[in-house]
Amino acid sequence: MKKFLLIIGLIAVMVMIYGCHKNTPVPVEQPTPVDTTPAPPPPAPPPPPQEPAAPEVKEADFMIVYFDFDKSNVRTDQRVALDKNAGIMKNFPNINIEVEGHCDERGTVEYNIALGDRRAQSVKKYLIDLGISADRIKTISYGKERPAVPGTGEDVWAQNRRAAFRIK
Amino acid sequence: MRKISTFVHCEYHREDGRTLLRTLVARAGLLAVLLAAASVCPAQVKDFTARLETKRGVEVTKIAVDDFTVKSGSFILSSDSTTVVRVADIVRADLDFSPFYDVVLPDTFYMRHMEMSAMTLLGWSQLGAEYVARGEAEFSGAELTVKYKLFYSKSGIEFARGSFKSPSSNFRRLAHKIANEIIYYLTGEQGIFDTRICFVSDRTGNKELYLCDYDGANIYQLTGNKSINVSPSFSPEDRNILFTSYMRGDPQIYQYDVVSGATELLAAYPGVNSTGRVSPDDKLIVCSLSRDGDSELYLLDRSGKIKTRLTYSPAIESSPCWSPTGSEIAFTSDRIGNPQLYIMDKDGINVRRLTFLGNYNDSPDWSPKGDKIVFVSRVNGKFNICTIDVTGENFRVLTELGNNENPRWSPDGNHVVFSSNRSGTKEVYIMDRFGNEERRLTTGGGNTNPAWSGHGQ
Repeated sequence: MKKFLLIIGLIAVMVMIYGCHKNTPVPVEQPTPVDTTPAPPPPAPPPPPQEPAAPEVKEADFMIVYFDFDKSNVRTDQRVALDKNAGIMKNFPNINIEVEGHCDERGTVEYNIALGDRRAQSVKKYLIDLGISADRIKTISYGKERPAVPGTGEDVWAQNRRAAFRIK
Repeated sequence: MRKISTFVHCEYHREDGRTLLRTLVARAGLLAVLLAAASVCPAQVKDFTARLETKRGVEVTKIAVDDFTVKSGSFILSSDSTTVVRVADIVRADLDFSPFYDVVLPDTFYMRHMEMSAMTLLGWSQLGAEYVARGEAEFSGAELTVKYKLFYSKSGIEFARGSFKSPSSNFRRLAHKIANEIIYYLTGEQGIFDTRICFVSDRTGNKELYLCDYDGANIYQLTGNKSINVSPSFSPEDRNILFTSYMRGDPQIYQYDVVSGATELLAAYPGVNSTGRVSPDDKLIVCSLSRDGDSELYLLDRSGKIKTRLTYSPAIESSPCWSPTGSEIAFTSDRIGNPQLYIMDKDGINVRRLTFLGNYNDSPDWSPKGDKIVFVSRVNGKFNICTIDVTGENFRVLTELGNNENPRWSPDGNHVVFSSNRSGTKEVYIMDRFGNEERRLTTGGGNTNPAWSGHGQ
């Protein structure tokens, strides 16, 4: 952590020096490397002064929502996850998402495709209730065809009964 | 021409407890004899005890298939003589799979005792075989011709005969056709030994459709779109295989043309399109669509255009199948809070609940005989294949081991194909409609979702 802060500090100093000497650029003396870790390259052009680079949103930022066996209602303990996901969608109004409904391996292919669809739909409805526009949310059901975790047993099943978010 | 022989086998009789006991006592007596001969033919005894367990509950008629001979004077290669042996073996395996016939095998102990070099009709009769099939093979170039005859063992009277010709490389199919015709002569019903099974396998890493013979031979890959393909079903006459595929992203209904090999998109409505099944008159498709927010059943025309919405319920409606007359549809609904089977008329009215036992009943398939529905029921946390009369009576559990799924009838209604994880991996199995004669068709795992073809062209 200290090393990291040190590197950040060095970069900040370099940027300041570079900024000060914008009109009469002089070669900046390279600081002695603290260790073998390659220092990140100094940001050569100064960041454009207008809006700061839009922070990225990743699929991994969205939380996965879990369900009970043969159920598609959003569990109370899963609302936090969905509220967070809705927050991301509000902060990034330009992204659209696809909600994937999944099931555990128990039960039949056909019924689970319908159940996964209902899970995705109930997530969509929850997001709409939180003010997200319906046309930003697509749903798809994979039934039990794409488990997150292979294997069998309640721990595995619980992880596979889920709705996952994809950025479209 | 085919004609039903005068020896048409009467409708089977279910054994009640008393006759079952009598049969078991009789069989135990024979078993004792065979056990005495165990040192001579242990394999025979093992086979016999296995059958004692598997054919329980159903009275069977015994039939023998003599080793096929080769027409005298015809020149054959050693591979040809292997073929002849295999043809007879396939005929035996086919007939033995029938719920009402047991194949008696040559008994070396008996033959030695009787100082016989080959089984005679009288010998077969004494081993309990009522009927005996004999065949003669003839090779001419790459062609194989097999002529067979059926005898009544006691009187020695021949009552049926037939002949089949095919390229000798296609001997499996030839053998199946012989067995089909023998079953037809014995029962008046068409055999199922020349039918095929379509199933899903992930052996390539993706769930693709495969086709194999009813006995698991001749596996052939149908799809290769590297997505998810599930829920195959055959259209009447086996011209098309309908299936649900994610090949364009969303689950949509496609049909594969068995003759041309072409694949056609049938239903791509918003949301889920799944489980398309063609009506017996080949004019309608019943399927589930979620275009109105949740999974409901619809009738489409044969090109995929919506004709009628059948169900209106906030619950899941899925897994539809036709009655053999096409007048009714069985399906799954969780309208009471868990999945149960229901039956309705094909216009969506007159809905009645079929299953009341258990809290998970799904995947119905209506017997071609019309009387029973096979389905999956969760019993004590395990999924089992069960049958129930369409009246709601005679709930019967057919499987015991592992979790079992996706039962589909054979076209004669005497057998069921299903998938099970009982071996540790998911494989496709067949059994007769009493839960006997289970056979595994696939190996290597990841084999699910079977569908049995019709009698074909």
